[in-house]
Amino acid sequence: MTEHFPTMTPTRRTVLLSLGAGLAAMALPRGGSAQAGDQVLRFGLSTFPPTIKPFDNTGGAANTVKLMLWRGLMGYDASARLQPELAESVDWTDPQTAVFKLRANAVFHNGKPVTAADVVYSLNEITKEGSTAYLKSDLSILTAVEAVDDKTVKISLSAPSAVLLDLLASYCCPIISAESTEDAPIGAGPFTMKGSEKGVYIEVERFPDFYMEGEPNVGGIRFIAYADENLRYAALEAGDVDLIEYLPWQQFDAVDASDTLEMKSTLGPYMFLLFNVTEGPFADPKVRQAVGYAIERQDVVDAAFAGRGTPLFGLPNPQGSPFDLADPAVEWSYDPEKAKALLAEAGYPNGFDCRLLATATYGMHQDTASVVQAYLAMIGINATLDLPDWGSRVTSGKEGRYDIAVHGTSGTYNDPDSLWPLLYSGNPSYLQSFGFKSERIDGLLEKGRTTTDQAEREAIYKDLAKAYFEEVPQVPLNWRIQAYAMRSNVTGFESLPGFLNGSSAYALDDTKLG
Amino acid sequence: MLAFLLRRVATALAMLLVVGTIIFSMLAIVPGDPAELLLSTGGGSASEEAIRNLRLEMGLDRPLLQQYLTFLGDSLRFDFGTSIVDGSSIAEAIALRLPRTLEIIAAGAVLALLLSIPAGTLAGLRAGGRFDGITSGLNALLTSIPGFVLGTLFIYVFAQVLGVLPAGGYVAFAEDPAQHLQMLILPAVTVALHLSTIIFRMTRASVLEMRGHDWVRTATAKGLSRGLVVRRHILRNALGPVITVVGLQLGILLGSTVLVEFVYNWPGLSGLLVTAVEQRDYPTVRAIILTVAAIFIGINLVIDILYSLLDPRIALQ
Amino acid sequence: MTALPLAARRSRRLPKLPKRMILPAVLLALLIVTPFAAPLLTPYDPVQISVRDRLAAPSWEHWLGQDEFGRDRLARVLYGGQVSLTVAFVATSIACVIGTLFGLIGAYFRGPFEFVTTRLADVVLCFPPILLALLVVTLFGPGADTLVAVLSILYFPAFARIAFSEALRVSALDFVEASRALGTPSHRIVLKTILPNIAGPVSVQYSLTAAAAITIESGLSFLGLGVVPPAPSWGQMIRGARAFMNQDPLGILIPCVALTLTIYAINFFCDRLRDTLDPKGNAGGKDVTSVPAPGRAPVQEEADVIASVRDLRLELRHPKGAVDVIEDVSLTLRANQCTALVGESGSGKSLTSLAIMGLLPGAIRQADGALHLRRKQGGMVDLGALGPKALEDVRGNDVAMIFQEPMTSLNPIHKVGAQMVEAILSHRKMPRAEARSRAIALLELVGINEAARRFDGYPHEMSGGMRQRVMIAMALTCEPRLLIADEPTTALDVTIQAEIIELLQKLRQDYADGLSLLFISHNLGIVSEIADRVVVMYSGQVVEEGPAQQVLTDPHHPYTRALMESMPSAHADLHSARGDRLQAISGTPPLPDARPSGCSFRDRCPMALPACAEARPPLFASADGSRAARCIRAPEAQEAA
Repeated sequence: MTEHFPTMTPTRRTVLLSLGAGLAAMALPRGGSAQAGDQVLRFGLSTFPPTIKPFDNTGGAANTVKLMLWRGLMGYDASARLQPELAESVDWTDPQTAVFKLRANAVFHNGKPVTAADVVYSLNEITKEGSTAYLKSDLSILTAVEAVDDKTVKISLSAPSAVLLDLLASYCCPIISAESTEDAPIGAGPFTMKGSEKGVYIEVERFPDFYMEGEPNVGGIRFIAYADENLRYAALEAGDVDLIEYLPWQQFDAVDASDTLEMKSTLGPYMFLLFNVTEGPFADPKVRQAVGYAIERQDVVDAAFAGRGTPLFGLPNPQGSPFDLADPAVEWSYDPEKAKALLAEAGYPNGFDCRLLATATYGMHQDTASVVQAYLAMIGINATLDLPDWGSRVTSGKEGRYDIAVHGTSGTYNDPDSLWPLLYSGNPSYLQSFGFKSERIDGLLEKGRTTTDQAEREAIYKDLAKAYFEEVPQVPLNWRIQAYAMRSNVTGFESLPGFLNGSSAYALDDTKLG
Repeated sequence: MLAFLLRRVATALAMLLVVGTIIFSMLAIVPGDPAELLLSTGGGSASEEAIRNLRLEMGLDRPLLQQYLTFLGDSLRFDFGTSIVDGSSIAEAIALRLPRTLEIIAAGAVLALLLSIPAGTLAGLRAGGRFDGITSGLNALLTSIPGFVLGTLFIYVFAQVLGVLPAGGYVAFAEDPAQHLQMLILPAVTVALHLSTIIFRMTRASVLEMRGHDWVRTATAKGLSRGLVVRRHILRNALGPVITVVGLQLGILLGSTVLVEFVYNWPGLSGLLVTAVEQRDYPTVRAIILTVAAIFIGINLVIDILYSLLDPRIALQ
Repeated sequence: MTALPLAARRSRRLPKLPKRMILPAVLLALLIVTPFAAPLLTPYDPVQISVRDRLAAPSWEHWLGQDEFGRDRLARVLYGGQVSLTVAFVATSIACVIGTLFGLIGAYFRGPFEFVTTRLADVVLCFPPILLALLVVTLFGPGADTLVAVLSILYFPAFARIAFSEALRVSALDFVEASRALGTPSHRIVLKTILPNIAGPVSVQYSLTAAAAITIESGLSFLGLGVVPPAPSWGQMIRGARAFMNQDPLGILIPCVALTLTIYAINFFCDRLRDTLDPKGNAGGKDVTSVPAPGRAPVQEEADVIASVRDLRLELRHPKGAVDVIEDVSLTLRANQCTALVGESGSGKSLTSLAIMGLLPGAIRQADGALHLRRKQGGMVDLGALGPKALEDVRGNDVAMIFQEPMTSLNPIHKVGAQMVEAILSHRKMPRAEARSRAIALLELVGINEAARRFDGYPHEMSGGMRQRVMIAMALTCEPRLLIADEPTTALDVTIQAEIIELLQKLRQDYADGLSLLFISHNLGIVSEIADRVVVMYSGQVVEEGPAQQVLTDPHHPYTRALMESMPSAHADLHSARGDRLQAISGTPPLPDARPSGCSFRDRCPMALPACAEARPPLFASADGSRAARCIRAPEAQEAA
């Protein structure tokens, strides 16, 4: 399996950034009308964003659009390296205090400059009482956000944080103008909203005063929702759109073979199994471990993902993570004999019956469940599939109406800390095994987050991998390859690696239509 | 006539009340929390606190009975309210989407009528002949191919292999008329083919039945030309049952376009409903169902009136 | 017109599986049985995955190849059929039982039951089917049980409606009223009397619904809301194979074909079933006529002859060969003369008259003989020599016809006046207003009060007698020389009968100068009142003819005699409005393909001789040539006179 790491040459914007963006955006030639740069890029989304609110996480499609409209203090370049966005620089005065200098030429879509007061306003919107913001609990470590001067912000933390900058680079942490209203947030992103129709399309057009000179490289982007993946691909093939997300795995070969299409792919999200550990056989970690040994993961990859992915045997440490945590000692393998032995040890030599929850809404969940079901049957666990639609699936998951559940997800940045929402028991959700609570794992996660020394953190996460293997909060199945496919006249777009794949919209700044 | 209309409208309102109540109670017992769903779109995670706050914003914390009474009151005033997901006006969304669904139904119906009334008439007039054999056989085959199979095949052939038509999607007519029509072709043809099989059967059977009536012989005995006999004494009589079937099918189509809209990514009313159901956007689901039911009842009323105009024996009661 | 003596009519009396049902029944049975014979046909388990062999091409082990999970496709399509068919048929059966019950109860007990039945059905019918199914399945989770439940709810109103309206119809029938009056318990009446009588339409609905249920089941499975995997179903197979459509078209083709074929088989079965249960659909149209053939006989040019039929032979085309329904019939119709054509049902009198109109049903062909008619301009023409346009011009213009059933002979949806005006305008060029006043004048002539108001009325607003007057007026619109009246009074009650006869008599005398009337009847009482000449027909042949007075007082043919004897008294006969069975002699006339050798009447003849069986007797003319009878004993009778 060749992994597609994006080969990086410094892009224009990174170069410009290092020079210091001295040129006033106002001075940019408007439009560059003779160029292809005025064309509208047509982007096939996998779903229509249910809402577009700056601080809520309402799915990948919404996040992509949000990154076009609003930017935060930090961001990523196309190779997934942290980059200052609205901030020009960041200076840690001590492990618990960071001072951000704002970019001089950054202006909001209403023409007003981005000031420290706007930063204070935005971060306060996230942490304030009653907020529904995605990062509300993560950013509860902020003890104070102060405007030092018009362009300088000081952020104080209750404890050192290894991931503050990643959190600030999140699509759920944009800086919006303090003049924003609930219905009309004002951002400073590369595009402004041009028009939209619920369920159909969203069109954005270039913000001429964007702080990165020469960007964006297209006149606008029209996001069109194609909920059906086959149709999304058909639309790309037929030339109805220029670029699509979530290229269906079945079509990878077709794109590879095509002269007119290209794709950018990376290992991103991963698939795993969850358990209801409050009752029944799965309350016993041995039974969960048995499941870990029972499944031939390559078959999941082949059947559910058309062979596009890699088996995952241990803690899902994302691609692009600063640490290498691989260790066969704390990883499963496909070993049905061992699985049966573990079952027998747990007191189930003849297996048992149980309910396997997935969803019919997503084919990959359903297909994964089919393969898992077949392999569980081989060690005597007879699972009945329960495939409600997504909405009921979430509720069933949250209320624990299952024995085993299939799920797939991604963290939001390339660090093991990104597994926090999936493993930290302080915030139970349908993404976690029902009733699972481990002080050992919680403690390691807390320690990893508040330790800033990378070597120390590596040791902590190695312990986490061991705890993960022993206590089995999840049984990992495989990494999915996530691909964007585009027509060959689209250049400059990159698929961000690992958990940052969902933030690939940052690369749209550099994307050109030839 | 006025008394008839008043009575029918009253019955319709009563039925809508029943429909609304059924839908409300159905949605009330269904699993799924719109707040949690919204915040976990695409597999993300949301904190308990955020979900709780959002439920409050959506007004889902109120007692069920209170919600029901508000719903009834608002519906009576034709106020559909706003979506609990994004706060947009439901009436506006329906006003935007409904015409599109009606558009493919109308385009499909026109195509179907143009295709199947002449063919059905001819087949009925020459029942047992070669034309009847071929068209009836073809019709039976087409009837047996479900719409989504046909749609999938069409996209494969016309968009992916031949590349002559777009694979689906929608552009407003005002924005780009040519492209709008191009995108309309496949959905309309798919609807038309399905609809035409039903109209064809009905037309053929109806023509065949009318041909057997004594008045047809009377008309021929009077010395009317063949054309006149067919037009005035067969076709005109055969139209009644055909119109009933067309009307009924149009009502049914309001719902069954869901597969066509899905296959062709045509942003019509059923797509809105499917999304609303997925998101558990209760007010939107209720509003759409009520709208569809109202149209359905309306169509039936129009058919009854049309029928009584076509056949003087039938009095409106 | 009396019904055609088709052979098919006879076999319909015998309850056996009609031939045309065999093929659809076998096809359907095959398609239903095959999936359930899956364990015999394939050793593979439809859910056994083998990812290494995914999308394998067909091989000896896997005849249809393997799917995206490496499962055997043959096994999946067969077992998938089981699931799809079971869901569809179980749901349909439940819907059928519940719906029929609702309908029966509503129709039999009426009152609040009726209200509940119809309203409940109305509410369900407010939801477009797929939408309701989609909603319920999304909300309550997919699975075969949910599908069966939702499909049952979806389809029971259709059954309730059909059962309701059919039961309503049946309940009103005499025998049901009778058993009710006799105090038979309700449930017995409903189950033993009504249910069997509505079984036909309900079973047609059953097959229709089954086909629709399969379509919806597959549609929902296609959307991922149907049967829960890994259990296969066709819709689900299509959903799975769709993603691989361009790499592996076979995968999507197989379930599509299976689905299409099955729905096709059910529809096919359903169509044939409907045709068999309700044969009126293929009775053939009354608009298609067979074209008269040119005759070889020379044109008769006597000035007072309006129409003549020479040696007419009509044959019924039949898969087993042609059968002569009319043999060797000759008639001469003269101006100012009323000729009565007399005989039992099936004797061929109506066919003979239709032949003169050029209105023979499509299945009947003029095999021999000639039909001549005097046109208003141009003298006698051979009808067989006229093209279709010229024939249209002759009909209604030179010859007009009044039919037996005034209730059905007028188009119910057009105004009476419009139906008259279109007749006038198709033969005469005149302004509409003039045609209108002409039609009103004619309505007045035939004795319709408030003719101008009736002109704008519809047929259903009139009584039978009035409608027959309208028919007569319509026949007279273009002043034909020949008017054919085919049992014009049979369907009317007695007093009206007399009025219509009186009207016809009056018209002959006062209205149209030189009108020749061909009066067809089995009622000798009426015939004796109106006819100048009588022609008696039996089994497609003329058996006696002559001046009315003579024939009716001194019949020469034993059949004519039998007809006379069957008429108790002129008055009583007028009361037996539909008594077209002979009371004096037993039996019925033979069907055309079962005529005895020799004289076709000999089986029923009280005075038959052995010689009667030897040869078909010719028409023996009387000495003065005014009469003739087709009986070897006719010469004796003629001499006796």
